[in-house]
Amino acid sequence: MGSLTIENITKTFGSTEVLKGINIDIADGEFLILVGPSGCGKSTLMNAIAGLEDVTSGALYLAGQDVTHLSPKDRDIAMVFQSYALYPTMNVARNISFGLEMRGMPKAEREAIVQDVAALLQIDHLLDRKPSQLSGGQRQRVAMGRALARSPRVYLFDEPLSNLDAKLRVEMRTEIKKLHKRLGTTIVYVTHDQIEAMTLADRIAVMKDGRVQQLGTPKEIYDDPANQFVAGFMGSPAMNFIPCAVSAEGLLTIAHSGQEIEVKIPQHEALRERGITEVILGLRPEMLTEPKPERTGEWIVSMEMDFDVTEPMGADTIAIGEWNQVEVQARLSPDAGLAAGAGTPVQVDFSKAVLFDPSSGERIRS
Amino acid sequence: MTDRFPSLGRIAIYTLLIAFALVYLMPLYVMVTTSLKDIEEIRQGNLLALPDSPTLYAWIKAWGSACTGSECEGLAPFFFNSIRIVVPAVLISTLIGALNGYVLAKWRFRGSELLFGALLFGCFIPFQVILLPMARLLATLGLANTVTGLVLVHVIYGIAFTTLFFRNFYVSVPTELVKAAQLDGASFLQIFRHIFLPISVPIFTVTVIWQFTQIWNDFLFGVVYSGPGTQPITVALNNLVNTSVGGKEYNVDMAAALIAALPTLVVYVLAGKYFVRGLTAGAVKG
Repeated sequence: MGSLTIENITKTFGSTEVLKGINIDIADGEFLILVGPSGCGKSTLMNAIAGLEDVTSGALYLAGQDVTHLSPKDRDIAMVFQSYALYPTMNVARNISFGLEMRGMPKAEREAIVQDVAALLQIDHLLDRKPSQLSGGQRQRVAMGRALARSPRVYLFDEPLSNLDAKLRVEMRTEIKKLHKRLGTTIVYVTHDQIEAMTLADRIAVMKDGRVQQLGTPKEIYDDPANQFVAGFMGSPAMNFIPCAVSAEGLLTIAHSGQEIEVKIPQHEALRERGITEVILGLRPEMLTEPKPERTGEWIVSMEMDFDVTEPMGADTIAIGEWNQVEVQARLSPDAGLAAGAGTPVQVDFSKAVLFDPSSGERIRS
Repeated sequence: MTDRFPSLGRIAIYTLLIAFALVYLMPLYVMVTTSLKDIEEIRQGNLLALPDSPTLYAWIKAWGSACTGSECEGLAPFFFNSIRIVVPAVLISTLIGALNGYVLAKWRFRGSELLFGALLFGCFIPFQVILLPMARLLATLGLANTVTGLVLVHVIYGIAFTTLFFRNFYVSVPTELVKAAQLDGASFLQIFRHIFLPISVPIFTVTVIWQFTQIWNDFLFGVVYSGPGTQPITVALNNLVNTSVGGKEYNVDMAAALIAALPTLVVYVLAGKYFVRGLTAGAVKG
């Protein structure tokens, strides 16, 4: 009942093309996250779904029905805004019930729904307050309550947590995930926070410059990025990108701490066959660790590295060294991090290494 | 260190402020005391002296029986003329300004900025420029020399200012409120009524005070477009002061001027702090 099909949607403001043909199929009950740097068009897409902005071309189907040219109120979509957009002169109860009131629902029914929603979000004690008397987290809950009250077919969340402090953000993140489990309603969620995207989404659409760069499950996006942009955007600390020369045999040359080694990676045959001479090697920091004897395999290489800087993060320590004159981050255990310095033994797992074309940034697959 | 004695700079500032306040209050003082004196006492020439035996004679005469030209009914009928002009003109121009401002701030359309610019231009057109065309318009509409005509003139002239006030106030209201209300199913007018009107108290106060003062104090339109029986109080005051039967009654003139000025003074005293607050009001925090 709440499936959403975005078909080749474009949007131009004057001469700038903000959305360049977006195609996304969202299944009923799916949690889809739109993620991307600012200016990538994710908020515009969100407004287009809500009907707050007309699209230049393309179509939008909600549960199979063409809603491309319906006004926002006829779409059965509710939205939670980044600024919450609570009505400042109405109390919490009226904020939640305003949409029902505008739709002509009788007072008794409205009050019952307000009670239900308030209980669900634990804001029953705040119903008489004005938004200005609430804390950020409470406002956030009220904004969600307003969306919940209408029980629409699709919820839109526009960076709902970005105005909260770090601790509250994590709490509310969990709460939103629980809420989605419980309601099972389709959610489209915009964020620029890749951790939010990873933790919440069923599927993630990574956007840049008005295009969807990759659409997939968090695991697909993380382990199998479509291009260098997606690889660099998802993950914290970010993936290491090391420009490498490729030998005739398809081996990568890596210069570090005054020596040069050649490493063999899973894609070496493809490189050799296609005669590729330069690649960008993408390696997540957790692939570069202190020696772990229990992990063995063809693609695991042991070596020594010089680390200049270490950044203890509690659970692990990020150590920064250099390969081929670019910074490389390794994720070490706190103990290994303490000992890290010149000539530290490390173990590199190349099995999940990804390669990109240096000129286009596209993935080179074997 | 907190001084118990104010510093030299502070003393200088307060001295200066008090001196200026005295200078500005002096005319009011003279007016009030003179209006309470009888004509004999005024002739003695002690302008700054307090009245020996205060009397309300001048006030009663100015209100009810002083001559304004050929009639001698005092200012009372003209006071009510002014009320009949000011109240509808203020209400209508303020409401139109609120709607205009709402549209220009939150429902932008092609050319809306240009329209706003053109409306702003209306603030800078001197009254004298529109005297003749407006007279023709009122004659064509059959509204010459009527209260309705004067209301119309003031509404038209006021819209530029009221629109400016409301538009600038509403620009600072987050647009997401409009979006949220749209998604909640509220219509254009419902959003205005339920979301925008309730947050508009400060700007309504500012606009009403501004319009009230402007229209109440207007003389030019009042003298040009009014006829016998529809003249506002400013015109009557002028006639009263310029009509002399026998000697000049300064006390009556002063009382009449005070009566004419009283409503705007009252408005400022009652709502002055809202005026300043409204002018400096920033964004509405949600």
